[in-house]
Parts: sequence; C-alpha cells; structure tokens
Amino acid sequence: MEFNDGYPSYEMMALHDEEHGKHVRKVIWKVFWIMLGVTLVELFVGFQAEAWALSKTFLKVFFIGLTIVKAAYIVMSFMHLGDEVKALKWVILGPFIVLILYLVFMVDLGEGNYAKERRYVMDKNVTNAAHHDAGAKHEGGEGHH
Amino acid sequence: MSSHAATTQVKANWGGGGVSPLGASYGKLYMWFFLVSDAFTFSGLLTAYGFMRHKYTDFWPNPGHVFHHFPFYEGSIPLAYVGLMTFILIMSSVTMVLAVEAGHRNKKNEVAKWMLLTIIGGLMFVGSQAWEWYNFIVGTPEGAVRNILVDGVWKDQLIHGANLQYNEYGLPVFGDFFFFITGFHGFHVFSGVVINFIIYLNVLKGTYEKRGHYEMVEKVGLYWHFVDLVWVFVFTFFYLL
Repeated sequence: MEFNDGYPSYEMMALHDEEHGKHVRKVIWKVFWIMLGVTLVELFVGFQAEAWALSKTFLKVFFIGLTIVKAAYIVMSFMHLGDEVKALKWVILGPFIVLILYLVFMVDLGEGNYAKERRYVMDKNVTNAAHHDAGAKHEGGEGHH
Repeated sequence: MSSHAATTQVKANWGGGGVSPLGASYGKLYMWFFLVSDAFTFSGLLTAYGFMRHKYTDFWPNPGHVFHHFPFYEGSIPLAYVGLMTFILIMSSVTMVLAVEAGHRNKKNEVAKWMLLTIIGGLMFVGSQAWEWYNFIVGTPEGAVRNILVDGVWKDQLIHGANLQYNEYGLPVFGDFFFFITGFHGFHVFSGVVINFIIYLNVLKGTYEKRGHYEMVEKVGLYWHFVDLVWVFVFTFFYLL
C-alpha cells in the first residue's frame, strides 16, 4: 500500500539492522534496571515509613514523583513516544499536564480538604445529637462509622 | 490507466485519507487516541478514589496491614506480593518491547518467542490478582466487629474479609474502590492477553512476515505498555501511599 504523503513508509522508518538492534536492546535493558531499582526503593521506603516517622506530605511527593518518573520511562522509551514528532508528543501529553494541575488543586488542595473539614463539623453535630438522644432513652450513633 | 496515475499523486493537505498526519501511521494514531481516552477513564476512577481517601484519611485502612500475604508462607510480609506482581508486569512489558525490536529486524522466531513470554507474564499477573482478591475477600480468621446493615437494621456483627457491602479492615468504600479499579485494570490485562495471543498466532502463521513488517506487534505493544503504565499508578495510590 502506498501513502504518498511525503513521509517514508513504515518499513523504511521502522526496520533496522543487527547493529542498531543491539543498541536498542541495550537501552531497553537499561530502562528495565532503572524501573526495577525505582520500584525497590519505593517498596523499601514504604516498609520503613512508620519506623522513620516520615510525614504524609513527604511520602505523597516522593511516591507520586517516582511514579511519574516510571510513567515517563514507559511512555517515552517502551511506547516510543520519544521517537515521534513533536506535535504528536504534545497532542498526547498536553491533556494530562492540564489534568495533573487540576488534580493537585482540586483533590489535594481544594475540594478534598473542604470535604474533610465539612465532615469533621458534621461528625461533631452527629455526636452532639447522639448525646441528646441518649438522654431521651435512645440508642445513639446508629448507622454511623 | 492514465487516470489512475493522477490519483496516486502526492496530496498537499491532510484530507481524503491519503495522508497520515503527525508522521505516524493511522493504526498507531488510532491506538494512541484510544489510549488517551482510556487513560482518562482510569483518571476518573482514581480521582474519585483520591477524593474519598482525602475525605476519610483518618479511617483509611493501612494497605500494609491488609495486603501482607505471600504464597506458601504462613507469616506476614507487607506488600511483598504486590512488589512481585509489579515486577512480573514490568518484565512482561520488557519482553513486549523486545518483541517489537525483533520485529524491526524481521526475525519471525524471535518475535514469536518474546510474544509468548509476554503472554505468560500477563497470565501470571492475572492469576496473582485473583489470589490477592481471594485473600482480601476471605480476610483474617479473627475478623472484626463492624456496624453493618442486616435486613434494613444496623447491627454490630463479627465479619471476615471484605465485599462491596462491608470491610473487615475499615471503611467499606476502600473495598469498593479496590474491587472496581483493580478489577477494571485486571480486565484490561485479560483482554491484553487475548489480543496478544491473537497476534501471536498471526506471527506464527507468517502473516506479518509476508506483509514485510511487524507494525501490528508494535500496535498491540502500545496497548500492553499502557496496561503496565496504569498499574504503576494503581500500585502507588492503592499500596504505597
């Protein structure tokens, strides 16, 4: 099948010789060892989190940061997005950059915290109501976790 | 015949199907766009999870206490088994990319070998996930007393393990998210194995050797790496944090 679109055909772009293949395989295994190392570090820090009394904020930044490193290696190296043209990279990654910003501000800094604060206020109200009910010979706190 | 020659001339713009944009073939572009939309589905699920988890931080079960089983071992090693599952999936991603590389050298037998190893890795992962679910559903022999709804009445009752209604380890919504998100991911792994198997048969039949290139292997490879990519995030948000 001919495309005639000014780009070389898939065969011309993708096929490579034995020499180049050796180089590609070397890169693949290098990426594998990096990913394995990162995962082991994550697990080790996960084990020690309580013993070292690491703060929740530090763990969040640390784990999510390393996750994005791993994700970048998968997408750029294994999925070959690093070899695609610049426009395609932006088409695929752009939406997720916006999404990440949205999540940071919405879940972690904004609405998530608000929901938690509201919950504390409502829990207090429920507890007060339960005390009130208990005074009127009622079993309080039902259905509440 | 002269009219034929005119239609195969180089086109100046994208339209009409003759030109594949962005320097990639149509097949690869479609796979990428599908993966972008699929990634948004997973983002939606994980966003809801993150929101609820943020809201109920103080009641959230510690994953290290929930997932500490290891096959053929009586004691408890927190998170070791998920670590192994992650290793299996990363490994199968590596064998997939090696299959793609062998395809670029037109080596049919090598492609087949790496594809087969990828399929085996995928099956091992799905099996591990089933085992993980089993342990979570069965729970501990001691169990825990939880306030649950029985026939429309809230009662304190001794329960073991978790399902969509109650959860021995803490908040029921933890179980709901766990089953739904790892289930959705597990289904992706399963369908990935099926797709890989079909392409593996085609490789053995020599379909791509005849075609002169193994682009199909690269396309299913994109899907397979995506499954690995999602797991990297599920692993962090469910097990590490």
